[in-house]
Amino acid sequence: MSKENLKTNISLEAMYMELGKFYFLNNKYDAAILEFKKVLEINSANAEAYYNIGLIKESSNLIDEAKEMYSRALSINSDYKIVKERLDKLIGIKSNE
Amino acid sequence: MKNKQFAVIGLGTFGYNVAVEFASKNIQVLALDINTEIVDRISQFVTQALVVDATDEKAMLEAGVADCDSVIISIGESIETSILATLIVKELGVKNVIVKSASNWHSKVAAKLGASTVVYPELEMSKKLVENIVTPNILEQIKLSKDYNLAEIVAPKSVWGKTIRDSNIRNSYGINIIAIRKRVPVINDDGQSDIKEEVNMVPGPYDEINQNDVLVVIGSEECLAKIKKDNE
Repeated sequence: MSKENLKTNISLEAMYMELGKFYFLNNKYDAAILEFKKVLEINSANAEAYYNIGLIKESSNLIDEAKEMYSRALSINSDYKIVKERLDKLIGIKSNE
Repeated sequence: MKNKQFAVIGLGTFGYNVAVEFASKNIQVLALDINTEIVDRISQFVTQALVVDATDEKAMLEAGVADCDSVIISIGESIETSILATLIVKELGVKNVIVKSASNWHSKVAAKLGASTVVYPELEMSKKLVENIVTPNILEQIKLSKDYNLAEIVAPKSVWGKTIRDSNIRNSYGINIIAIRKRVPVINDDGQSDIKEEVNMVPGPYDEINQNDVLVVIGSEECLAKIKKDNE
């Protein structure tokens, strides 16, 4: 991939991410998921996109699907603290804090 | 008013956590066990931790068990020790004695000896676990009486966008909504998306029920079963 293409992809990825967050904050969950999926089409290793989809699934009481998304985010970035906390909470592991 | 004092006898996983939980709420708690290592470990959290043989009446008296308002006996590994400890605590004049049971027979004996409450966490947890697996739309369920339960249910599709009054949920299902819980998307201090839980503790007739809301309801088992079925 050329430098120029890479740059375009990064900006597109960031744009879809922000758009997804915008829809999420405005309770437009279906639209938000579409944007986060676009992020993952460009960069399948974007842990934040999986995390955001997980949040939407959790907000929709789809707990198993939320766990799956959080697990995927953690498989990409095992140090992702906020994701670990949310997953632990859903599994029932008490936080030490 | 004098601060209430509690004692926990037997510091296995259950007893240890009960004692630490009391301490975290700034409640005076006396923690007793025969194992020195466990007593050492818990001493940093509780008011006082002592190595005591729960079957030794004199040692229990000296430890101050008789001065406690409530005593929790959490000796799971030996039913005999648990029963003897229950008897001694009752003889010492403690009014409120809570016994962690390991079996139905253990529960019956503890009750005969005067235990005020018998808890059987393994049995209660196993029932709850099965209920959660079988009915995923019922998130939490607490038995209030023989026939009535308090439950957290995912709002059924038929009431989305309706006020409590318009939803007619009381007439349709015979249940009362006592709170509405929802998860609200937020941006946290680190700039990351997150969700925050909001609870409407006194929902009025004109409050709206939305998709993804969780309703805290009270109803008979029969009525809850009906809403459970419609929600599938």
